[in-house]
Amino acid sequence: MNKRALLLIGSLKPASSTSEAVGNYLLDKLRQYDIKGEKIKLIQILKHEDGINELISAINNCDILILSSPLYLDSAPAIVTKAMELISNERKSREHIKRPRMIAICNSGFPEAHQNNTALSIYRHFANASSFEWAGGLALGGGGSIDSRPIDSLGGMVRNVVKSLDLTAAAIAGGEHIPEEAIN
Amino acid sequence: MQVLLLNGSSKDDAFSQQLCDIFVNELEKHDNKVEVIELCDTKIESCLGCFGCWVKTPGICVINDAGRDLAKSVVQSDLVISVSLVTFGGYSYELKKALDRLIPIISPFFKKINGEVHHKPRYKRYPKAISIGTLTENKQELIDTFQYLVKRNAINMHSPVYLSRVFLNSEAVQGLRQEVFEVLKEAGAVK
Repeated sequence: MNKRALLLIGSLKPASSTSEAVGNYLLDKLRQYDIKGEKIKLIQILKHEDGINELISAINNCDILILSSPLYLDSAPAIVTKAMELISNERKSREHIKRPRMIAICNSGFPEAHQNNTALSIYRHFANASSFEWAGGLALGGGGSIDSRPIDSLGGMVRNVVKSLDLTAAAIAGGEHIPEEAIN
Repeated sequence: MQVLLLNGSSKDDAFSQQLCDIFVNELEKHDNKVEVIELCDTKIESCLGCFGCWVKTPGICVINDAGRDLAKSVVQSDLVISVSLVTFGGYSYELKKALDRLIPIISPFFKKINGEVHHKPRYKRYPKAISIGTLTENKQELIDTFQYLVKRNAINMHSPVYLSRVFLNSEAVQGLRQEVFEVLKEAGAVK
């Protein structure tokens, strides 16, 4: 049976966002490895009364969880924090749960990618506390160069991002962690 | 001193409520003027990341709710104290939804600080910051992330002084009072 990847988008932008553009590219790449992809915008799903149950159900059905978010004040946007609190509490209350692998991608407008590292540490702690297998995080600086546009349409301007995401997709599809080469 | 205390803990978190009470008592004993915002009782919409507060209505969030008043209170304070459960090494949702709404108080323009790009200050002065985290277990990795986050926030929010402490909810009240007094003294709020 094909593996399933679930992309959680942490941006609050109603239309397209850099978080979604990056996540979409990764899902497309994973499809090339016969991994099915599903996408959920946290801001939309948590508006519904039953949204958290839908979210939990989608997580329970996935093998690979991908969280793609912007950086808000050196960390996760509030809506992502809310989702993490709800997901973690629900998973802690269960005895037998599937343990999907999780990766996170955090982007910001600052040119220094390392400004995302605190957010990635928070995502790693969330994974560890919530019975996900942490498979690494990607920090993307200079998000303005993507500016919510599809990665495929941006050419050489984002070649490092493309290389990093391609390496990440190959590693994740092969059951490995994000390689250092993709992070650097 | 004008002090703003942001309580980002939940109503059923008796330890954090007690901690906030200790802060308020100590501050008032030393003639500080304290405003407390119970964030779980305050309706604050999430920051939309629209940058309207930078390009449409500079310094003012486009969402007209308590988040707008909060940004004003922060800028007008000498000291801002936040209290929150350490949540995966970061802040609780209740506190984070409030902090995310402080973007209007910094400028969209950039400057280099310690060799990194950050936003310029919008105002001439910013409050000192004390960030208090609470934990049920002593997990050093979470404490390290929390304290590093506070440090990074202080750079971005131009805090002239920042202090962070993590309290375990097993700590006795007398010890807490002493630690609260010490941190307030370090911030110049008590003598």
